[in-house]
Amino acid sequence: MMTKTLDTAAANPGRRRFKGRLGAGTTLAMLAVMVLLPLVLPSATLATEILIFAMAALACNLLLGFTGLLSFGQAIFFGAGAYISALAMIHLDAGLIGALLIAVVAGCVLALGVGMLCIRRKGIYFVMLTLALTQMAYFLAYTLSDWTGGDNGLLDVPRPPLAVGETTLISFASPLAFYALVATLFALIYVVARRITDSPFGSTLLAIRENEQRASALGYDTRLFKIMVFVLSGGITALAGALYGMLLNFVPLSNIELLMSEQILIMTIIGGTGSLFGSLLGAGAIVLLGDLLSSIWPRWMLLLGVALIAVVIFMRGGLWGGLSSLLERRRGNHAEPHKEASHD
Amino acid sequence: MTVRKTSLMLSALALGLATQPLLAQDQQPLTFYGVKSLSGAFASYGKYAEMGSRLAVEEARETLGRDIEYVSLDTEGNAGRAIRKVQEAINQDGGRLFNGATLSSTALAVGKEVAGVEGVFMTPAGADELTGSECNASTFRWSVPTYGAIRETLVPLIEALPEAKRFYTITPEYVFGEALLDNAKAVFEEYGVEHVGNSYHSLQEQEFSGYLTNAMSAAPDVLVLLNFGSQSSNALRQARNFGLNEQMDILMVWSAGLDQFEELGAANVDGIYFGAQYWHEVDTPFNQQLVASVREAYDITPTYPLAADYTMTRVMLEVADASGASEGPTLIEALEGYTYQGPTGEETIRASDHQVIKDYYLLKGKAEGEMEDPDDYADVISAGRSFVTPEDSPCQL
Repeated sequence: MMTKTLDTAAANPGRRRFKGRLGAGTTLAMLAVMVLLPLVLPSATLATEILIFAMAALACNLLLGFTGLLSFGQAIFFGAGAYISALAMIHLDAGLIGALLIAVVAGCVLALGVGMLCIRRKGIYFVMLTLALTQMAYFLAYTLSDWTGGDNGLLDVPRPPLAVGETTLISFASPLAFYALVATLFALIYVVARRITDSPFGSTLLAIRENEQRASALGYDTRLFKIMVFVLSGGITALAGALYGMLLNFVPLSNIELLMSEQILIMTIIGGTGSLFGSLLGAGAIVLLGDLLSSIWPRWMLLLGVALIAVVIFMRGGLWGGLSSLLERRRGNHAEPHKEASHD
Repeated sequence: MTVRKTSLMLSALALGLATQPLLAQDQQPLTFYGVKSLSGAFASYGKYAEMGSRLAVEEARETLGRDIEYVSLDTEGNAGRAIRKVQEAINQDGGRLFNGATLSSTALAVGKEVAGVEGVFMTPAGADELTGSECNASTFRWSVPTYGAIRETLVPLIEALPEAKRFYTITPEYVFGEALLDNAKAVFEEYGVEHVGNSYHSLQEQEFSGYLTNAMSAAPDVLVLLNFGSQSSNALRQARNFGLNEQMDILMVWSAGLDQFEELGAANVDGIYFGAQYWHEVDTPFNQQLVASVREAYDITPTYPLAADYTMTRVMLEVADASGASEGPTLIEALEGYTYQGPTGEETIRASDHQVIKDYYLLKGKAEGEMEDPDDYADVISAGRSFVTPEDSPCQL
């Protein structure tokens, strides 16, 4: 399957050129979207929430879209990033950079542990392990209420400025300034993630996703690759969690519950598995749909379920898959719409 | 029915008239935000809360003759979403006047956000911290905290059942449940009754047979349920299925009132003791007017969330209008110490911690044959008010 995917692209130079242009185009499109988001949406706060969840969905995409690992453990890293960075700021007076770095390191370390344990099993057993660990993390946060605030949540989370010593360089108190910070970090992560997925490392992840046994037979230490991508995903998700805590000035217990993992997964799937730009589309769609539908019908989650079913059945590449197919058709290329990994 | 404060008979209408001279002082449009769970897991609660706030706003537009804009913020049953929407209201629209929030976590965080801009936020949420360790100048709370809920249910029950000496508790293992349990233990000790055991359960538990079996084996005279919502309903149903109500008395300290009784049905409510923040049959002028207004507007009997959010909205609007301030220290100062006629009688907002001093009720469920109308599920056994003194409160504003 892996060779088929690569060969298909190689045998069709037109398609490869298109995908190359599309890839560069999506980076520009992503930057354009980030500039436009706070201008077209009702508030910069809403735009910030979308980018934070896009960051979490992007990290989930590295696991699901590029490596084929369906993990329900993302809430562990998201919640841990939020709690640990908040506690570092509250109790250790950590500044902005320090708190974010602590969150990333904590996310990586946790993901290393979770990854090493979970990838010992495959398929449904892998999924069940991530589910079980998320439940454990939830109850741990719930039980350690002296630290996490338990069900009441962790209050008084600061949003520190960028400072050198006592000198404040940039304050992020205003919603727009904080949006700029989150957008900058998202752009950096997006570019780095693209470099990674376009690299031989990324190709190996795809090979593992398509046929792990074959990748292993070719000499790749698939276990090591899976742990590495787990660590990468955990660090990014924890960063998103830390930023979410700063956005809300508060860490709700729901950050570390199973529903958060589900939400991140739904964003990833609706946006398009295997598409980094799709993560932004998925997060935007879910956050905005939630805002819109909740004002129409109290049981709006049911409509979200219908949307998910529709995407899975009729738009297997998610929103990004549908969009790129449309673009491809418009330029007269009627090749079969690509499936999951589009690499944007 | 014994209600201690029934002698205080100033009508709610009189409050409106009393504030009239001040109405013309400020005719600026007043924008008021209702933070309600209109969708998601707590939508059934939020629906009534929203009805209460909307009714109060409609009435205030007429009685105060003021242009009032009401904006609903749907929490989606998610504290994070709620905070984001409150931030938007504050930063984009300059919102300063908020009420609602069912979940304690949401209420605590909203209170902090509103305090950051010196706005005003009034909530019916349950967490003691709201007017305790996490209190702030902007947050006001209408509901009675765990201390009062326990004392106004357990103490009258102990006095009413002098033969009952053995009490067993079932408690959800989290901050709110622990607070109820600590207060219950203090009452047991103070009144010399034996606490023969406690079963903790998680916040996600819905199957209580194991805990009820433990309770049965301890042979208590009274089973005290310290959980709430669907957990308390399920625990009570299962206790009745086990026949525990024939072996012992059962008290549900923190009931949701009428809507929970409707969900349980008269057969499950009969003979059970319930604690309640509000009961529609309480004979006060405000409550009579509220019941009439709600029946006219919605053709239903007011439930606790409806009454709570109606009262909070009305009080906030009236004080904002009377004081001529819709935000900031002036409005906070006007609310501090404010006394008004509420659904439980005369209610006062204590200045030291912004806790509303009001009655809490002990109800006893009726048999279906004794109900005089479809909503007559219970009798009020006692009513009263118990609050931690300002000196003992962790909140010192």
